[in-house]
Amino acid sequence: MDLTLSIQQRQIRRMARQFAKTELAPIAKEIDEEGRFPWEAVEKMGALNFFGMQAPRRYGGAELDSISYCLVIEEISRLCASMGLMLAVHNSVVVFPLNQFGSDEQKAKFLPPLASGEKIGAFCLTEPNAGSDAMAIESTAIRDGDSYIVNANKIFVTNGGVADTLIVFVSVNPEDVKKGFSAILVERGTPGFEVGLLENNCGMRANPVTSIVLTDCRVPRTNLLGREGDGFKVAMAALDTGRIGIAAQAVGIAQGALDVSLKYAKERIQFRVPLARHQAIQMMLADMGTMVEAARLLTLKAAHVRDQGGDLSGPSAMAKLFAGRTASKVASMGVQIHGGYGYSKDYPIERYFRDARVTEIYEGTNEIQQIVIARELLKGGED
Amino acid sequence: MEIIVCIKQVVAGDRVKIDPRTYSLVRSAESSHINPFDLFALDMAVQLRKKYAGSITALTMGPKISEEVLWEALSLGADRAILLSDPRCAASDTLATSYVLGMGIRKIGRFDLILCGMRTTDGDTGQVGPQLAEELNLPHIGNVEKVEGERGLLRIERLTDGFREILEVSLPALLTVSPRRTVRLASLIEIQDAFTRCSIESWNLEDLKADPAKAGISGSGTWVEGLTPLTQEKSCVLIEGDPRQQAKSLLKKLIERNLLS
Ligand SMILES: Cc1cc2nc3c(=O)[nH]c(=O)nc-3n(C[C@H](O)[C@H](O)[C@@H](O)COP(=O)(O)OP(=O)(O)OC[C@H]3O[C@@H](n4cnc5c(N)ncnc54)[C@H](O)[C@@H]3O)c2cc1C
Ligand SMILES: Cc1cc2nc3c(=O)[nH]c(=O)nc-3n(C[C@H](O)[C@H](O)[C@H](O)COP(=O)(O)OP(=O)(O)OC[C@H]3O[C@@H](n4cnc5c(N)ncnc54)[C@H](O)[C@@H]3O)c2cc1C
Repeated sequence: MDLTLSIQQRQIRRMARQFAKTELAPIAKEIDEEGRFPWEAVEKMGALNFFGMQAPRRYGGAELDSISYCLVIEEISRLCASMGLMLAVHNSVVVFPLNQFGSDEQKAKFLPPLASGEKIGAFCLTEPNAGSDAMAIESTAIRDGDSYIVNANKIFVTNGGVADTLIVFVSVNPEDVKKGFSAILVERGTPGFEVGLLENNCGMRANPVTSIVLTDCRVPRTNLLGREGDGFKVAMAALDTGRIGIAAQAVGIAQGALDVSLKYAKERIQFRVPLARHQAIQMMLADMGTMVEAARLLTLKAAHVRDQGGDLSGPSAMAKLFAGRTASKVASMGVQIHGGYGYSKDYPIERYFRDARVTEIYEGTNEIQQIVIARELLKGGED
Repeated sequence: MEIIVCIKQVVAGDRVKIDPRTYSLVRSAESSHINPFDLFALDMAVQLRKKYAGSITALTMGPKISEEVLWEALSLGADRAILLSDPRCAASDTLATSYVLGMGIRKIGRFDLILCGMRTTDGDTGQVGPQLAEELNLPHIGNVEKVEGERGLLRIERLTDGFREILEVSLPALLTVSPRRTVRLASLIEIQDAFTRCSIESWNLEDLKADPAKAGISGSGTWVEGLTPLTQEKSCVLIEGDPRQQAKSLLKKLIERNLLS
């Protein structure tokens, strides 16, 4: 068992770290406060291939292994979680399923502009009455000649305000949602396509998470991803992979919270010594560091399983569950170390605290991960 | 144009650890990176190759972990990378470093131009470039901003004390490159390509036919006798009172410290 990164993986991490430090750190606070999507940084991320990290070379992707992919997401999220989210969703729940389930024509048409960052992707599953229970969706796609007429009301769509290519989950059979559950590619600008309200979220505020409303949208039949009824398969494959990206994001947020807490603990003087000299603070820092490292190892293990072609569901659910909890816990301890200043917008730790929390919610809540993990454990035979 | 770029692996500013016995830097892959000044030299080489064709060889002397900076150079466009590595090179001063680099360049053989950074962020002597030119008996120009021309004469621009100096130099020559330019990052595809396309050649003193007595400690004309860390004492004084009183007491304090008269 070799737990060291290769030189190549270290080079990739170094580059991502450098990029985050020079391009994202200076704007992270401002774009959070203004709820602004930083197009200037997005363009640079495109040039560095951050939008096609694992896509095939022939479509303009970089064909990274999953460990390198996690390292990039971690480094970006460490300084700007909103951009980490943007990239994680784009790469692992849009580009990946498109490449996995798309026809050659679909891949040739949609992948190159997505991989270059010229177009941004979104994944639309959640609806007002369908969150954890994906089968409760009410969105429909009804066959009409060579087209589907799509009606959908999707909420909490990450990248919603800026996305050009969206994977939308619908049922082609309103009588039997399960049987008709399907994924279809919808392009921004199709008549009937509307970006709805911006979600007023407490964190991830530089990401335009919105609702997407499709009203009698005519979408070519050739935009169906996989076959009719394949939607569940597509969604689950995307989410098994996506959860590794979210776990990496959570590790990055936790590491970032630890970074700023270490810095603060060395600077702030109370009782004539820096906080870091108080043993109670040291113990908090020790626990934070240990949790971050454990979450990182679990995440990289899941990435490794993915690269080896193993069964992902259990490892990725465990990584996401543990890393999400770690991010929340570590950010919360970070606030504690900062005292009153941790509750103030003058220090970055409050942003980590707000950003961390949602990693326990999206791409499957903690409870949904627990259901997946328990199912995997219970189905295992005895050794 | 055949260009050699000399690159050093330096220890990150906030991670400097000094061996208490030998006073030499303790290096690890995690705490080291490419000398930022060498990125400017590499960037100039890439621009020259774009214009005049040819190839770029990245050259470093250092321990095995210095390979990392060569990979970075390959990702950023170098065609070939050579590591000069031998335990007997440890603790080389600038003279010994220049000798070993010179022997490496002699083994490479054909070249038109050698580019170095102006200085490094750890040793920071700025001597290796000029010393290497002496070692190889080449003309040398420092702090270069712009280079034009290919065969025979190069036209060089550099800024010195408010003047723009235009110089001509015959090839082969050695230049140290001014840091006044922006450097770019290698993209993921460039990094991936470097690792599929390239490998790193490693040469020891035997390969170089170099004299071990001129390398490392034995080849060094200087050595570090002692090293004392400097600590900067900072303190914060809060000035109380209404704005008028505050301004008054600030003025008084500045005068007391001879900062204003
Ligand atoms: C604490 C300390 C004190 C030192 N004091 C002295 C001293 O007093 N006198 C002395 O001679 N040395 C000294 N050294 C050693 C010296 O700093 C380096 O070991 C020497 O090899 C390179 O010098 P530099 O880093 O100053 O490079 P510079 O001369 O500043 O580098 C200029 C350029 O030369 C090239 N270059 C430099 N080193 C290499 C390399 N290894 N491989 C490829 N290209 C390279 C790069 O292009 C670089 O940009 C000291 C080292 C330490 C750690
Ligand atoms: C910032 C942000 C970005 C998002 N981005 C996207 C996106 O890009 N695309 C997308 O499709 N969705 C997205 N979502 C939606 C997210 O995936 C859902 O919020 C999540 O799946 C939970 O669904 P819900 O909010 O409807 O909660 P509910 O499903 O109503 O759950 C409420 C609570 O009940 C628990 N619960 C539900 N069912 C069970 C059960 N069977 N057993 C035990 N406990 C249960 C849940 O764990 C949770 O604690 C995003 C959400 C946010 C906040």
